[in-house]
Amino acid sequence: MDLPVQQFRTEAEQELLDLFERSVDALPGDASIAAMRKAAIRTYAGLGLPHRRVEAWKYTDLRGALDNVPPLLAELDVQVGESELEAAIGKACLGLPAYRVVVAAGEFRGDLSDIGALRDDGVEVVSLAQMLESPADWLTASLEDAAGCGDDVVIALNTALMTAGVALRLPEGLTLQKPIQLIHLDMIGASGSIFTRNVVVAEKGASATLIESFGTLGAKELQRNAVTTVSLAEKSAIHHVKLQREAIETIHLNVWAANVGTEARYNAFQLSAGAALSRNQVYVRFDGEDGATDISGATLARGRQHCDTTLVVEHNVPSCESRELFKLVLDDEARGVFQGKIVVKQDAQKTDGKQMSQALLLSETAEFDSKPELEIYADDVVCGHGATSGQIDEDLLFYLRARGLPEDQARALLIQAFVGEAFEALDDEAIGDALTIVAAEWLGTPLE
Amino acid sequence: MPAVEETVERVKEIDVDKYKYGFSTDIESVKAPKGLNEDIVRFISAKKEEPEWMLEWRLEAYKRWRTMTEPTWAKVHYPKIDFEDLYYYAAPKSTEGPKSLDEVDPELLRTYEKLGIPLKEQEVLAGVQGAPKVAVDAVFDSVSVVTTFRDELAKAGVIFCSISEAVKDHPDLVKKYLGSVVPVTDNFYATLNSAVFSDGSFVYVPEGVRCPMELSTYFRINAENTGQFERTLIIADKGSYVSYLEGCTAPMRDENQLHAAVVELVALEDAEIKYSTVQNWYPGDAEGKGGVYNFVTKRGDCRGDRSKISWTQVETGSAITWKYPSCILRGHGSRGEFYSIAISNGYQQVDSGTKMIHLGRDTSSRIISKGIAAGFSDNTYRGLVSAHRRATNARNFTCCDSLLIGNRCGAHTVPYIEAKNASATFEHEATTSKISDDQLFYCLSRGLSEEEAVALIVNGFVRDVLQQLPMEFMAETQKLIGISLEGSVG
Repeated sequence: MDLPVQQFRTEAEQELLDLFERSVDALPGDASIAAMRKAAIRTYAGLGLPHRRVEAWKYTDLRGALDNVPPLLAELDVQVGESELEAAIGKACLGLPAYRVVVAAGEFRGDLSDIGALRDDGVEVVSLAQMLESPADWLTASLEDAAGCGDDVVIALNTALMTAGVALRLPEGLTLQKPIQLIHLDMIGASGSIFTRNVVVAEKGASATLIESFGTLGAKELQRNAVTTVSLAEKSAIHHVKLQREAIETIHLNVWAANVGTEARYNAFQLSAGAALSRNQVYVRFDGEDGATDISGATLARGRQHCDTTLVVEHNVPSCESRELFKLVLDDEARGVFQGKIVVKQDAQKTDGKQMSQALLLSETAEFDSKPELEIYADDVVCGHGATSGQIDEDLLFYLRARGLPEDQARALLIQAFVGEAFEALDDEAIGDALTIVAAEWLGTPLE
Repeated sequence: MPAVEETVERVKEIDVDKYKYGFSTDIESVKAPKGLNEDIVRFISAKKEEPEWMLEWRLEAYKRWRTMTEPTWAKVHYPKIDFEDLYYYAAPKSTEGPKSLDEVDPELLRTYEKLGIPLKEQEVLAGVQGAPKVAVDAVFDSVSVVTTFRDELAKAGVIFCSISEAVKDHPDLVKKYLGSVVPVTDNFYATLNSAVFSDGSFVYVPEGVRCPMELSTYFRINAENTGQFERTLIIADKGSYVSYLEGCTAPMRDENQLHAAVVELVALEDAEIKYSTVQNWYPGDAEGKGGVYNFVTKRGDCRGDRSKISWTQVETGSAITWKYPSCILRGHGSRGEFYSIAISNGYQQVDSGTKMIHLGRDTSSRIISKGIAAGFSDNTYRGLVSAHRRATNARNFTCCDSLLIGNRCGAHTVPYIEAKNASATFEHEATTSKISDDQLFYCLSRGLSEEEAVALIVNGFVRDVLQQLPMEFMAETQKLIGISLEGSVG
């Protein structure tokens, strides 16, 4: 029964195509980039927006969530001062000693970024839009590699419509003493779509910490699509930290894709607290032996927020190690989704993979959906995953109350302890402390 | 530990031939013409002398099936099945007419004797001394050959007969419960089964009765190119208990045989059903040629409060297994259990698991799944645990472990966990590993051969599940585990 497939498009699906048609001439890039964009939009046109019947999006119906698509946001004259930055990402995170790079309202803001300092310290750093006009080989390679993620609609749309971001290259042996803090902002009162792409390349033995903070200046309706690709050469190390505090109406789609070389280490940590709907995808692929990754994070959601974290770790080569730990705190009618897939290919003997997701449901109406998946073709491996879901342990609560703590304080303490475990994955204490403060603020129990 | 010695001995006893049930019985059979259309459905219904309502039900299912497409989401690959190239009905000729053990074709009896299934009431299962009595319903291709111990069961009020008899003799019960757990429209294979099911077992245990013996059905596919579509319906009325065993084998044939069964269990208040399966269909030869496609829908409905359904399965056969025995925990305080050992070798593909759907208050479920992949096989555990809004205090514990033997096989775990209720407590853990070199070395240094050592370690690995099997089957299963792993080492 081969019925002809009828091409149905929802309004939003069509509007994304229209958005491309309208903006294609103004999008940055030389001919090779233009061709790449065209191929990507064709991929999208073939797939449409993902929905519940697409296995990888089983719990997040993006097609259903998008009613329409606002125009591309590209505004250079957005007033961004220290107070705006502080309001957007929080005092604690802004206060971290770091090289600052700002992308606001869909535009790279050289005036607000410490480009000079980064260059002085040996980092090759260029605005993405500028780089696309005459792409270096390492940028093209990275873009092409991401395009290889065949059926990922988020990446395809990003490739088609990316306007801003940064390209960073850490030369061989460079160790950055301070983290790079990349701040993504929207625009007050704005209704728009932002497509940003960051490319990070760490050459042999280089190491750095990259913090990506997503904050709001008060957008009305924002659709964000942010992709960061990270290539790690032999013995390099990247610590990649994310803080997401977008405006509550925002739709936040984010992909981190990392290729890990021999003896390289990629550590990722994501704290998600904002946005109406957020989907965080992390792809890690091991290309060289003895690589390691640790992907951890915490999701804090309340109201009707929907937060989805989807990880795919691909062990293609022997002797790599992966660890994942995610904690979700869900209140009101919030819905948390965790999907984690560990793939171990036939040659990836001696793989060591562990994964854990835990949800704490604070209200009767919160929901947690989890799909921890193992796909294993090698026999000499140790892989495991776990998932738990439950409410606050009444015994623990009773214990604390018996020690004289009022109930709400006792509750907050237990929640903090629950989330805190995930923060232990952060090696950098200062960053850990800053993010703990953000979490505590969310819980309504600011630390003294 | 005596169990260990016993295991090793059993492993030694195993014949060298890989699949010992692979013989075929030369017996004349009546077949419906090849292919499927409304006439075939009418033919089957007429053969079974079914009432009009049953035929209507089948035709309805058939029409529906024509509009459906095969599911493709499972992690199994096989050439497309030509549903027009199958016989949908095959029956040994001699079984037509009155049924009593004396009149059954001796060739058939010999077949069951060879398989170790006791059809004569004075006998007990081969090789087990002092075992309790087991009532058997023997299904050969499309028809039930004989059902033993019927009188004794009838005294207790238990109805145990083939489903075609039940349609005739107990239409009220069948009408009330058939399709109430697995609706006609459930899925491609269940709908196909609803249209063409030929036989299977029917069990009704009345209120407050503890079924006096184990009930069992033994399925045998014999005829070539024949699909087997059996349907089992078990109803445990308030406060009753029944334990049911299912066994299956098929001859070695080059072509693939289709087996699409539907099993429905209904447990009313305080009732308990224990359903055990030892599935040993022909898995295909060493090159992956032939074997049974086992596409089965099994579901239990804990309809009454405090009811309990427990599935235990040992899967060693079939070229392809696509099977998810599930529990709908509707009654408050009801409990579902799933214990599974799935062993795949050669080119077998297993995509199996369970669904625990928590609807009622204080429901609990437990899943223990052990997958063992060897040779070139793929072994997937796919399971769903969900708690609905009203399932206050639902509890689940899931443990699924996989063991890989050799480096050309795959073991996969795809659990779905959906908690819509804060007081639901779900725990899931899964591990995949290979037999540790240390364990193997230890066994070898104690003088075991490598194969014996593997069988021993594997038996230890699956112990949790084996303990759930009825005594009579434990011994048989331990042997089976040895058989399917033969040739996987070295």
